[in-house]
Amino acid sequence: MTGNASVAFSGPRGGEAALTWGQRLMWRAVHLMGPSQSFLNCPWVLPVHGKRDLTTVLGALRRMLERHESLRTTFADTSDGPVQRVARNGELSVELLEAGQEGPLGTAERIAGELARTVFAHGEDLPLRCAIVLRDGRPRALAFAFSHLAVDYHALSLLSAEWRELLRGDDLPPPTWQPMDQAALEREEPFLARSQRSIRYWRSVLEEVPLEVFDHPPGEAEEPRFIEVGMESVALAAAAVRLAERLTISTTSVVIAACATVLAVVSGRPRAVMQLVHSNRRDPRTRPLVGTVGQDGLLVLDLPATGFADTCVAAHRSALVAYRNAHYDPFEMQAMRAEIGRVRGREPDLDAFFNDRRADGTWPNLPRLAPGENLAPLTEKTRTYVTNAWPGVRFKVFFTLGTAPDTGQLSLIVDTAFLCRDTARAMLLGVEALLVRSLTEDVPIAAVRGNAGLTPQPRWEGLRGPRRGR
Amino acid sequence: MLADMVADASGGEISAEEALAGEHSLPALGLTSLAWIRLIDSIEDAFGVDVDLGGDLSAFEHVDALAAHVSGLLDPR
Repeated sequence: MTGNASVAFSGPRGGEAALTWGQRLMWRAVHLMGPSQSFLNCPWVLPVHGKRDLTTVLGALRRMLERHESLRTTFADTSDGPVQRVARNGELSVELLEAGQEGPLGTAERIAGELARTVFAHGEDLPLRCAIVLRDGRPRALAFAFSHLAVDYHALSLLSAEWRELLRGDDLPPPTWQPMDQAALEREEPFLARSQRSIRYWRSVLEEVPLEVFDHPPGEAEEPRFIEVGMESVALAAAAVRLAERLTISTTSVVIAACATVLAVVSGRPRAVMQLVHSNRRDPRTRPLVGTVGQDGLLVLDLPATGFADTCVAAHRSALVAYRNAHYDPFEMQAMRAEIGRVRGREPDLDAFFNDRRADGTWPNLPRLAPGENLAPLTEKTRTYVTNAWPGVRFKVFFTLGTAPDTGQLSLIVDTAFLCRDTARAMLLGVEALLVRSLTEDVPIAAVRGNAGLTPQPRWEGLRGPRRGR
Repeated sequence: MLADMVADASGGEISAEEALAGEHSLPALGLTSLAWIRLIDSIEDAFGVDVDLGGDLSAFEHVDALAAHVSGLLDPR
């Protein structure tokens, strides 16, 4: 069966409100990226558990749309600034497709990726696209692409968690907090004071940070210019877990420490400055909120003269400071950054990022290993690959720790005008090597600098752009 | 009160009794980074203080040290 279906929804409330801080961040991002903003779209797949017919699946989808205002929201610029508009009623068109040779879930993953390649018209489109994958006439999986203005990855995990109950037709308590409620809260104390404090912290960093991410000049770029190199490494995840237990910090902090270290080494600097994408669900009301809540924190990490263990502890503390100051009005923040730009001649480039997409910061299905088992042989199974390419995502360096539950899925987007793909691959493998080696010795930072694949890039002075490998 | 705040911030992962016992640090008990930020937010809201994270963070790893730190913030008033 192929064709189309439609889901007519009628939610309990509609309305118009200012954007939340999370939405403001994404509003700015989608406009900065223009045609490349499809990078921000969120592909997602939901399996159809049990033997459900199409009517049941469409009914579950209708309830999902009715429960969460974010999924019924369009976004528009007005004379008072951008607003969110929640439609009480409407209709979502759904494509019906037969599963291909890769099976229903594989087909849904492929379709979700395809749906995510097209830019959303945020003022007119619902912020999601959906296709239902069928086999033998029965729905088996749903493929989605969501606008990042509507959801973050935490919100997608929430949708996955309630999906089984929606399919069963269970009664669920109505959501108690929606983005319009959040927008109202963010106009009051103590949120305004927190925003001001976060902006003061960012200002203190921006007044001193180098204007460029790298000291070397741009060279010949690949076409498309921005590529994403991926790595899947059980060794990375297992090593991060052991180090985190040893140091009583999170695996996120351990991986941040390693990524920041290789960035500092490649840039030839003693300090790494990175933006941390942060879930930001610190207010209890936002924990069950389907919306985009995440904001960016600003990590400043000075590499210690000692070893990687100290780097991990320092990264953990710096990350806490960054998270704390990741709660702000992005429009106010941008005004401050513009002011810094006027004083310093231009805004400092902060286009180095780290994002941990794991919902709870763990790898729940990591293969069982014996305590103390040597992880070095596991590194032989590590694979790297180029996953994606874009003409204009504007990042110099963007590490992402993916959601795979059974392996360390670390990817790195680079601007190939500054870092070639071989360097990007060396950086990923450098993270893995640093973590694995740190289990048996406290790796001196000087030794990381000596890693053959992680040589600092040549500096600006008197140099032509280095030739770029393909 | 601070121990109850730890329990709330951790979403029930850490009980007030565990936090008060002080046998293990709060991170060792499982206080995540996000829960830690929630705890600082709730301390600021409840006591009307501004917690500065610029210095040594070890004051935030045990409830008794945290209590002493908050007392220090309240004293100058």
